[in-house]
Amino acid sequence: MKDLLSPNDYKSPLKPIWCPGCGDYGVLQALYRALSAIGRPPHEIAFISGIGCSSRIPGYTTAYGFNTVHGRALPIAQGVKLANPDLLVIVAGGDGDGFSIGGGHVPHAIRRNVDLTYIVMDNQVYGLTKGQLSPTSPQGLKTVTSPLGSIEQPINPLLTVLASGAGFVAQATPADMPGMTALIEEAIRYPGFSFVNIQSPCITFGEEDQQLKAHKSRMKTLASLGHDPANQLAALDLARAYGTELYTGVFYRNATPPPTYDAQIRQRKAELQRGEPRPRSRVLDGYLRAGGGPTS
Amino acid sequence: MTPVTGIDFERLTLRDALDLAILIEEEARDRYLEFAEQLATHDTPEVADFFARMSRIEERHRMELLERRRTLFGNTRSAVERRNIFDVEAPEYEAARAFMGVRQALETVLAAEVKAQVFFSEALPRVKDPELKALFEELRDEEVQHQALVNAELARRPEKPDDSEAYADDPVAQ
Repeated sequence: MKDLLSPNDYKSPLKPIWCPGCGDYGVLQALYRALSAIGRPPHEIAFISGIGCSSRIPGYTTAYGFNTVHGRALPIAQGVKLANPDLLVIVAGGDGDGFSIGGGHVPHAIRRNVDLTYIVMDNQVYGLTKGQLSPTSPQGLKTVTSPLGSIEQPINPLLTVLASGAGFVAQATPADMPGMTALIEEAIRYPGFSFVNIQSPCITFGEEDQQLKAHKSRMKTLASLGHDPANQLAALDLARAYGTELYTGVFYRNATPPPTYDAQIRQRKAELQRGEPRPRSRVLDGYLRAGGGPTS
Repeated sequence: MTPVTGIDFERLTLRDALDLAILIEEEARDRYLEFAEQLATHDTPEVADFFARMSRIEERHRMELLERRRTLFGNTRSAVERRNIFDVEAPEYEAARAFMGVRQALETVLAAEVKAQVFFSEALPRVKDPELKALFEELRDEEVQHQALVNAELARRPEKPDDSEAYADDPVAQ
């Protein structure tokens, strides 16, 4: 008798074509395990992504999936969640997709607090298109588009989402599979917009000191630093170390999560179904009673 | 970082220990199969075949353990879950490389076997039940035997310079 969902139940027959050694393989495996722990069947889950190596994830799961257009995963995911609030919606993508072309959508998805989990596989480079500078590339990085080294300041994804008011912000690395799996699970369980920045190195175009072997020696858990995830100011302070330190764990978790956008929509729908007049109808009725409307 | 979460070794039963061992072999089987698929996709057919063979070997080990489990405990439900096992005998994803050679693949397997041996060795002092202790000792010793086989195979293959980096600027399009 089989009644528990195993990680393999979320694995589709489509084989990933990422480069061997890519960090995204570990992320995908952690997602299968986190979903198995949560126990929602694949038909109750939707993966939404943009464009990029990591955005191929929807195809590699048995859940519903939509590999959308570049940088537009968040708006589409919000639409999916509002159209079917019962779905567990996970957004996946890279740092270029999320913080360059799609960067404008991030603060709005956060301020609306739609119940989504946004997983960014941050490899600090555009790997799919063969190694150009991405918004999180460190200063000085030499790539095909910066042969003398990048002169731009990188975006700090952790600070960006914290400053926008995200209720759950974490960072992980595939160098710590149990830790990453637990963080993904916790993010999915958080009621509201949750964000996990995963330092998922590009094996082909990434720097040596960004690979998983280097992560293992560099990473420090926030718990080991005595960080209290309820302390938003401390979280902001620790997030400033992005790019120099590799902190893993929960930076911030709102201890009293506010109502989600989708919950408020449900509440408003329920109010309307109870027969309370819609303001617009009242205006229209008044207008018609006053003799307004089309003339023949 | 413990490669197994949510298991109290001091309270582990023989049935659960067998299930744990079965799932460890299953994870290794699946990982080698993934590696075989990755390397077949990335034009490394010889190593893809090697990893496919490794996957079949792990499946054989899994089936042997499963048979013992069924004989002793039938099909009763397991208290150990696959999602709690992290790369005990499975090589880590980062070990695979496009254009890697068979020697590198053998070294990957060797590292995985050593890892599994360490896991059982470290678990042993926490296990109290004599039957369980015997099982873990047996599993640990098997990993040592596997290492000897891999080392013998490595000795037959001369070291060659690693030229995989020569292809680093020419990855397969996604």
